[in-house]
Amino acid sequence: MIDDSTPPDSPAAASPWPFFWSGVRAATGLPAFMLMCALVGVGGLCRDIGYPMGAGVLSTLAIWAGPGQMVLFGSIAGGMALPAVAVAVSLSSIRFIPMCMAILPIMRRPNTPTWLMLVLSHYVAVTAWVEGMRRLPGMPLEARIPYFLGFANTVMLAAAVATGAGYYLIKQFPPALAAGLLFTSPIYFTVALVAGARQALDWLALLSGFVTMPVAAFFAPAGFDLLFVGVGGGTFAYCAQRLLNARRSA
Amino acid sequence: MSAAIAALEHATGGLWPYLVVILFGFLPSEIWRWLSVFLVKGLDEDSQILVWVRAVATALLAGVVAKMLLSPSGALAVVPALWRWGALLGGCLAFFLFRRSIMAGVIVGEALLIGAAFYATA
Repeated sequence: MIDDSTPPDSPAAASPWPFFWSGVRAATGLPAFMLMCALVGVGGLCRDIGYPMGAGVLSTLAIWAGPGQMVLFGSIAGGMALPAVAVAVSLSSIRFIPMCMAILPIMRRPNTPTWLMLVLSHYVAVTAWVEGMRRLPGMPLEARIPYFLGFANTVMLAAAVATGAGYYLIKQFPPALAAGLLFTSPIYFTVALVAGARQALDWLALLSGFVTMPVAAFFAPAGFDLLFVGVGGGTFAYCAQRLLNARRSA
Repeated sequence: MSAAIAALEHATGGLWPYLVVILFGFLPSEIWRWLSVFLVKGLDEDSQILVWVRAVATALLAGVVAKMLLSPSGALAVVPALWRWGALLGGCLAFFLFRRSIMAGVIVGEALLIGAAFYATA
């Protein structure tokens, strides 16, 4: 419900719902579609290990991390012991630390309670992160949290529906289309990152991530390659940008 | 520990898969999100630490994409590596050619990859 009763001259008390709905509208379309493509496969993985459809849908709503869900169902399918599965899932999700730390301060207001920050942090995953980092800084502060919640809940709902549908449908896809489905995440993330790159720092980080990954895949111990890429590539980009700025201002 | 897990599996019956998702999927991944809520307390939006953290997150995501293309799973593995990277690059070029449209970038990239996959599996 959109509440119109607030007088327009008190912006602090304005209803957050218009911002929520504009987040919903922004998510409907490419972001929701791309997440549906990405999560269809998880439904199939869940079915492969004999779990009920609801467990796949729950994994989307609760874990909310495509790679983590694939690690969970994939390593159970591979016969890995459950404590080891938990470690593998946890390693794949360490990336949420820098992602949450980068986006949460953009949404935070001085009076935002901790429980709300914890709720917001649950929705942080790649799609909401790239879109949020791109769109939120240009918005008024009071619009950011409702917009983010509208956006993130919409893509999550679409992804949950796709996980359930994928549970029954994935085996029916021809192989070329299945390849296309698996390609949606890489192509969408890359183009969205390119679209969101505003400063030299973003470009440097993007390129160093791509360049260091093959090196890390070769040298880093299994499970730690992404950590190596993130910290190594990100630090390199940060230092390079500081050098560039120092030279420019000198 | 495995005996305890087996006992729990027996006791929970049909609810076991849901419990696995919560205990071994949700909790080990959610702790990082919760941890970061406490890590950013008191940090200013424009502080240098957060500038560095943003660079780390961006490099990490680029790494995630590179990993998906370097060691692809399932059906994506039938497409030769050069085509996978070519489709990615083509999508990025299309993004700029079509006046910074993310939709155009994704559609062109997907079309290139599905075309290559048809060719590879035919």
